[in-house]
Amino acid sequence: MMTKLFNDDHPPVSDDRKTTQFRVLYRQFLFRMVDLELLSASARGDISKLLGQFAALLLFLSSWLGLAILGFWDSEMPREAFIINAWGMEHLLISTMMLVVGLFAILSWDSTVPDRRDVLVLALLPVRARTLFLAKVAAVATSLGLTVAAFNAFTGFTLPLALAPTSASLLQLILSPARYRLIAAYWITMISAGGFIFCSVLGVQGLAAQLLARSQFLRLSALLQMAAFCLFLSVYFLQPSLATPHALMAAQNQHLLAWLPSYWFLGLFQELSGFTHPAVVPLAWRALTGLAIVGLGTAVAYALSYFRTLRKIVEEPDIVAGSRRHHWLPPFGNSLETALVQFSVRTLLRSRQHRMMLAFYLGIGFAIVILFMRTPRAQQQLSAANAPLLFSSFVIMCAWVVGTRIVFSMPLALRANWIFRLTEVRSAPEYLAAIRRPLFVLAVAPVWAASAALFLSIWPWRMAAGHLVVLGLWGMILAYFCLLGFQKIPFTCSYLPGKSFLHMAFLAALGLLLLIGKGVDFELRALHDPVSYATMLVILGIAVVLVRWRTVALATSDEAFVQFEEAPPTEVFVLGLYRDGVLPIEPRSN
Amino acid sequence: MLELRKVSKRFLGIAAVDNVSFRARAGEVTGYLGPNGSGKSTTMKMITGLIETTSGEILFDGERIQRNLIAYKQRMGYVPEEPHLYAHLSGLEYLVMVGQLRALAAKHTAERIDRLLMLFALHGDQHAPISAYSKGMRQKVLLIAALLHNPDLLLLDEPFSGLDVGTGLVLRSLIQELAARGKVVLFSSHELETVERVCSHVVILHRGKVVADDSIESLRTLMALPTLESIFSQLAVQQDTAAISREIADLIQA
Repeated sequence: MMTKLFNDDHPPVSDDRKTTQFRVLYRQFLFRMVDLELLSASARGDISKLLGQFAALLLFLSSWLGLAILGFWDSEMPREAFIINAWGMEHLLISTMMLVVGLFAILSWDSTVPDRRDVLVLALLPVRARTLFLAKVAAVATSLGLTVAAFNAFTGFTLPLALAPTSASLLQLILSPARYRLIAAYWITMISAGGFIFCSVLGVQGLAAQLLARSQFLRLSALLQMAAFCLFLSVYFLQPSLATPHALMAAQNQHLLAWLPSYWFLGLFQELSGFTHPAVVPLAWRALTGLAIVGLGTAVAYALSYFRTLRKIVEEPDIVAGSRRHHWLPPFGNSLETALVQFSVRTLLRSRQHRMMLAFYLGIGFAIVILFMRTPRAQQQLSAANAPLLFSSFVIMCAWVVGTRIVFSMPLALRANWIFRLTEVRSAPEYLAAIRRPLFVLAVAPVWAASAALFLSIWPWRMAAGHLVVLGLWGMILAYFCLLGFQKIPFTCSYLPGKSFLHMAFLAALGLLLLIGKGVDFELRALHDPVSYATMLVILGIAVVLVRWRTVALATSDEAFVQFEEAPPTEVFVLGLYRDGVLPIEPRSN
Repeated sequence: MLELRKVSKRFLGIAAVDNVSFRARAGEVTGYLGPNGSGKSTTMKMITGLIETTSGEILFDGERIQRNLIAYKQRMGYVPEEPHLYAHLSGLEYLVMVGQLRALAAKHTAERIDRLLMLFALHGDQHAPISAYSKGMRQKVLLIAALLHNPDLLLLDEPFSGLDVGTGLVLRSLIQELAARGKVVLFSSHELETVERVCSHVVILHRGKVVADDSIESLRTLMALPTLESIFSQLAVQQDTAAISREIADLIQA
């Protein structure tokens, strides 16, 4: 006998309820782009500060680019010439936009595919897979839309303003249809370019999820994420400047242009704006064709893989067993230092989020190096001591040390950190001394070793050794400086959003680059003059001693403790007054 | 001996543990019982030193634990209620790390880990990441980590959770064996049948207060009740279970 699945007590889910389910899931997915479990208890699950900082960074970038566009505007130049002259600026905006969206796609990599936790919780509820899928797509699209909007908040109006024909009066300025066409063209182009990059990433992800077993997909996924990151940065910084009619039409550049989507969307913008030029017509078509292929392909691959992944998550384990040979690591000092270094190495190797964050900082370092190495000065002789290579080694050391130190502050599995608290069988200063070891092993040592291999192979050994001593001292100064007041075991302390001051960090980075520039000039001279070199070593040595002394002094002070919970600075200073001099005044509980 | 003297813990003014006093002696297994939310795990966490008391003091072998927390932690082993572990490490890597953090001799610890993994039937999975472990396997890792340094005080919060029957029986004997060898064992569980078999002494907590602190035998005699379950129901449940279950069934059918 057939069982009646739905009865009066259990009717099928109505359309109204489906909408409610969608709304609830959409909100959940949207606000879970950041893992709330990593936040400090003081943050009370509030990620608004973190998202606010991210938006502020994009708005800051947009405002600078917007100002640059206004500065670029030249009212004296004939309009036709100005429009062609502006291609370079437009291409910069489009390629930067594509880089930002690409980085966003990489950072939200895990948020776009179903998560084991979601499946195990939601699969038991009467929620249709289609509702889950649509809620996820809507949440991702909203985040992407907000990213695009924040990045173009200023440039989206200043560029059309600069490109539009000059108006005699304010009324003309407001009523001019050309201006509105330019604004629409700009936003359509940017949304298309962003969508193209995002869909490309999603499509590759979907294809891999569709073709591979889940455990293989998870392993490959980590590699793909890293590869996409390197690809986006390399293309952005290494792509040649072809934004002129002559370069775009040159036969020898056509093969390259077929692989550079930022130029396709430059063509699309010209077409949509009405500035048709023979050089951009094929590019615009390529943009439209590419967008259609990627959009359609991604829609199919992502939708298929989403439903397949929902099933596979339940059927297959996330991680397969490893083998013994992959687990061995050497000792790194005493047992505590060894424990902390091995834990840090394993976390960095196995946690995708932490690896990506470190890659982000290294990417910034490499970007600066690439920009510097492309200058004519850098194209000169590399086989003798030269400023670009010296500069590059210092910059990479800075990016690696600072990046590693920042990544150390991001927790992994906060609920598991009780084991560190329970096994705290040594004094706090011993812990704080041991905490220094992972930074030296994971940041200073690899950069120094890689630099040693490079410089000893291309420079005379005396010159190379001289620079390596300086680089080692510089690395030590940086590492000790980064550890000033750092009282956390790597990856174990909760994260409190809103404590980083991006504008200050930006200014500090600029200052550091200037300092490195000056230092490189001095070192270049000093490498040929023993007296200057000895003076430089003495200065650096004193700096190492001072910064180490300060770090150790802070770590051995009476207030030193190992921090597991990030707390905001106290806003009320407790005076310690006592009623009648005896009884403490207890705070009132509400 | 472990001793709690008028220990209280308040969260935002609300007492989770209120004036709790009891003693857990060496050589016996002390059961620490109470319904959900009665303050058992909070007490356990205070005894481990993971959270501080609001008032009162905790003594081990006559000395306040806060006076020398480091020395105390060297003598204490703890199995928490929930198996939170670093899932990206393998079972072996996790245990080696615990040994290193406890400053145990590397060679001796490696041998001990190897033997314990064998005895807990985890040897074949020692290189697999903890994320791939079942709940019972995680519980075994927690047990090994708690026993690795031969602690004098063993705090077990729901240690049987997720264990298979065979390992459960081994653990039951092990707890008694360790107590017989002079360890202080404080054992918290909802499995009253196991508690009745393993423990000689029980402390029952209800709404943060101690409502019974005696040997099981004395409680049986005193309350004229046949089992620990009936004693517990009388002291800590204080509700008509049949009536509540009827009400729940009625409610979901309404």
